[in-house]
Amino acid sequence: MKALRRHLKDVNRNRALLLMVLPATVWFICFSYLPMLGTIISFKEYRFSGNFLSSIINSKWVGFDNFKFLFRTDDAYIITRNTILYNAVFIFIGLVLAVAMAIVLSEIANKRLAKWYQTGMFLPYFLSWVIVGYFVYSFLSFDRGMVNRIATAFGADPVQWYSEPAYWPLILVLVFTWKSLGYNSVIYLAAIMGIDKSLYEAAMIDGANKWQQIRNITIPMLTPLMTILTLLAIGRIFYADFGLFYQVTRDSGTLYSVTNVIDTYVYRGLKTTGEIGMSTAAGLYQSLVGFVLVITSNYIVRKFNKDNALF
Amino acid sequence: MASLAKSRDFHRLSPVLNVTFNLIAGLFSLACVFPFLFIVILSFTDEKTLARNGYSLFPEKWSLEAYKYIFKAGDQLLRSYGVTVFVTVVGTVLSLIFISLFAYAISRKSFKYRTFFSFFAFFTMLFNGGLVPTYIVTTKLLGLQNSIWALIMPLAVNAFYIMIMRTFFSTMIPDAIIESGRIDGAGEFGIFLRLVIPLALPGLATIALFSTLGYWNDWFNALLYIEDPSIVPLQSMLMRIENSMQFILQNSSNPSIGVGVLQSMPQDTSRMAMVVLATGPIVLAYPFFQRYFIQGLTVGAVKE
Amino acid sequence: MSNTRKKLSIGLTSILATSLFLSACGDNKAANNSSASGENKGEAVELSWYTIGTPQKDVDKVMAEVSKYTKEKIGVTVKMTMIDWGDYNQKMQVLTASGSDMDIMFTASWAFDYVQNARKGAFAPIDELLETNGQGIKQVLDPAFLEGSKVDGKNYGVPANKELPAQEVWRFNKKVLEENNLSLDGVRSLESLEPLLKTVKANNPDVMPLQVDKNYGPYVPYDYLIEKFPLAVKLDDTSYKVVNIFETPEMKQALATMNKYYKAGYVPTEAATLESSTDVIATGQWFADKATTQPFADNVWSMSAGYPIVSTPQSDALIYNVSVMGSMQAISANSKHKEKAMDFLNLLNTDPVLRNMVDSGIEGVHYKKLDDKYMENLPESKNYDMPTFSFGNVMLTYLVEGDPENKWEEFKKYNDSGKPAVLLGFNFDPSKVSTEIAAVQNAKEAFWSPLMTGTVDPEKYVPQAIEKMKAAGLDKIMAEAQSQIDAWKAANNK
Repeated sequence: MKALRRHLKDVNRNRALLLMVLPATVWFICFSYLPMLGTIISFKEYRFSGNFLSSIINSKWVGFDNFKFLFRTDDAYIITRNTILYNAVFIFIGLVLAVAMAIVLSEIANKRLAKWYQTGMFLPYFLSWVIVGYFVYSFLSFDRGMVNRIATAFGADPVQWYSEPAYWPLILVLVFTWKSLGYNSVIYLAAIMGIDKSLYEAAMIDGANKWQQIRNITIPMLTPLMTILTLLAIGRIFYADFGLFYQVTRDSGTLYSVTNVIDTYVYRGLKTTGEIGMSTAAGLYQSLVGFVLVITSNYIVRKFNKDNALF
Repeated sequence: MASLAKSRDFHRLSPVLNVTFNLIAGLFSLACVFPFLFIVILSFTDEKTLARNGYSLFPEKWSLEAYKYIFKAGDQLLRSYGVTVFVTVVGTVLSLIFISLFAYAISRKSFKYRTFFSFFAFFTMLFNGGLVPTYIVTTKLLGLQNSIWALIMPLAVNAFYIMIMRTFFSTMIPDAIIESGRIDGAGEFGIFLRLVIPLALPGLATIALFSTLGYWNDWFNALLYIEDPSIVPLQSMLMRIENSMQFILQNSSNPSIGVGVLQSMPQDTSRMAMVVLATGPIVLAYPFFQRYFIQGLTVGAVKE
Repeated sequence: MSNTRKKLSIGLTSILATSLFLSACGDNKAANNSSASGENKGEAVELSWYTIGTPQKDVDKVMAEVSKYTKEKIGVTVKMTMIDWGDYNQKMQVLTASGSDMDIMFTASWAFDYVQNARKGAFAPIDELLETNGQGIKQVLDPAFLEGSKVDGKNYGVPANKELPAQEVWRFNKKVLEENNLSLDGVRSLESLEPLLKTVKANNPDVMPLQVDKNYGPYVPYDYLIEKFPLAVKLDDTSYKVVNIFETPEMKQALATMNKYYKAGYVPTEAATLESSTDVIATGQWFADKATTQPFADNVWSMSAGYPIVSTPQSDALIYNVSVMGSMQAISANSKHKEKAMDFLNLLNTDPVLRNMVDSGIEGVHYKKLDDKYMENLPESKNYDMPTFSFGNVMLTYLVEGDPENKWEEFKKYNDSGKPAVLLGFNFDPSKVSTEIAAVQNAKEAFWSPLMTGTVDPEKYVPQAIEKMKAAGLDKIMAEAQSQIDAWKAANNK
């Protein structure tokens, strides 16, 4: 009884803040948590029978069968390795290069120029992977691609880009960077803008040069944001951007050893049978792994600095 | 020392460094813009020339076919623009409110339930129930079938933005400000509206930008929920054309579809024209957001 | 002052929260309407018909006319919803999975996969309905249509009466053919093309001798269990033995030939990743390619390409499962008006008035009849441009200018001449081996197009491919398939 009263007192004290979280919470319940109940399909062999609810109830329970296809054969090792490695590189780039570019942009003397640069950098975000795929093709096509044309002009042999796995990790990383750097750096740019200018003044007075200012003021001030974004990215480490690995590679079979990731594997594998249970199972698997990784990373971060952690 | 009038002085880069930075940013920017120019040129290229010669900056033959094909939709196109603008503006405002309120609350150390709600939001980033359950909730539970709100509500909240906003609030708003508000006798909402928001403008602008882009580019929600052609947004309309072209192409060897359907479909050039039509407006709107994170607002700096 | 502010802010948030709920309750009208229809007895039943194609402006207008007609004849009204090509699969999946109110829907092997969804329980079995309400359909359709579209012994959709057998042909760009004085005599097999390809390659450097793309597969006399999947049964095999297509002599030879052609430059360098050849066909810079024919196909192809195309057969005309499942109308398992739906489908497939109304629109508005066989499209027809093949019995539709008078007679002759392929009527049930299929799919996709287009050396890659597929579980699938075929064989006295 006393605990309940104490609890109610807490609620009352926090009522303003609770009210603030209310709208979004309702939203989450409707659009995120309720649908989450549908993940139960991962454990069933989904068949239609009436409406959705009765379909779920009537479908046969198959335990972990739907997950098996993710672990068979050495394909399982390849797709997992590919997904993790690419994402690790992407996280790194998203962090280091985005912060670097944000700093570069914020330091440029002519603000109007900086504005133009930044607008330009943002454009690739608007292009769908299908379009980007066409562009990459116009560069790497064997007969007409720009790269081969330049190569032959210099006397080198043209390369069958879409048949040579070796080059693709680099190609994919470059394309990814090109597409996402502008977008990612905006977040850091905004954060830099929010840094109190008087800090820099004080540093100048103390005789700090540009690099020292960046190292001792800008970077530490950006650390919370960097931590959060990295933690969030770790949570999604098992998800790959389907468009990048499917459209840009033109679904070329010979490249699968370096371009097949979990998402493309699932897509290809389920084209013939269309088993909803299996695709949901794959999603659940990806979510769980990411979840465990984030909780672990978050725990580690908390040890260093409680404030920077996700929760 | 240096007066505030020359407050830019301490920030000035050495000329060498400035040039280097300009080069780095400039070159990358060019690399990003170049394909866009290319796309504009391609959209005005004649389809057959494209098939024959591949992508070229100087097409043999120009043509307006691609645009004509899309404009066949005529007034539908105009309506779609209107729908998209409405959805984007209303959606962004709604988003900002939902997200900033939530993020502010969980950024406050005095909030007893902050860890719970942070986790509550974050969890949704990782786990989701899939397409069909979301469809059912949206249509059966909320009854948003064929309503313009089906375009707005599903995108209104985004845990990722909440997390970013929360970080902005924690780092950009010194506790001193909150304290001073408290001392003045303001309540949580008052502090939020009068003191915090002005300081957090760069963050809000960023989230507003991302939100706007998210709404503008969304075509999937319309695919699922909208049947009434008068509330189909722009991207959706264009995507429908594109997906259908793609589908027919992929099945072009299928005799059942019949050759008639494939007739006079300017594919690649239409795709490019669609990109131009869809992206053009938002690119023009972008500078509006930009001034918040290039110049920055340093209103109400803390004076200890 | 701060108090008022606080009250205002709280008020604001509550309004927001309430608006969320209001919007939820607000648009129930739409949801309610759909369930209200069809509840009135005595009134005409409204059928909800979902079909594929770019939504046309005049659909509602035409359907109003159709409804008037059908109300009189069979007591139903029709509401048609068109879903665009690219969206069809996704949208239909979601609509079906959420149990939406639908009566009739279009399905095919390439759109909202008929077999898959029939197995999942999306469609109602129609064998009895055909007996009671669909006799007309049974009379009109060649029995092979209904035979071939049985899933686990039952029919789940009404196939469209159109061309039945599938026959592979080699198509040729007539201009290039004549320029080089080449004749099509003796051209049938893949190997027989060689001298022609060689000549064209030498004389016309800008022309692609053999245009293929990633969808291409050389013709071999086998009936595939699943499209583009390596398990098949030989066409004349009375023992119905399932084999791995890569282990057969015919495929090995075909792949070797393709590789030879690739090395000689007869085939596009990037064929294995080329999505479609439509672009190339449009430019006319090709010589030969492979296609599936139907009566008068040459005319159709020539008209759409804008220059003459001729063809010659490379296979017999056989009736495969996929040929009968190219266009079907199914009745939803959830439909509350299954008999009436069948009535409608029956009428659609037998009554020329209804069929042409659905196809071309309102007479006098969208089209004009020239005589009892021919019609002409009026300018308004651009607001009602429908995919004819998708609605059922195409042989009831009026002919347009350029169609030979005996078009439908020729079709019937063609259909009658077709022989059933060995696996006609058998549809493999993958549910016991879905895990293995997912794994084999990935293994095979890595090799399929490169091998089929001749891009890689089959000597090296075929053994690799076989090994990988076996590791992924191909043998288990094969065994399962064999046992299913044996059971089907026994049940059907084959």
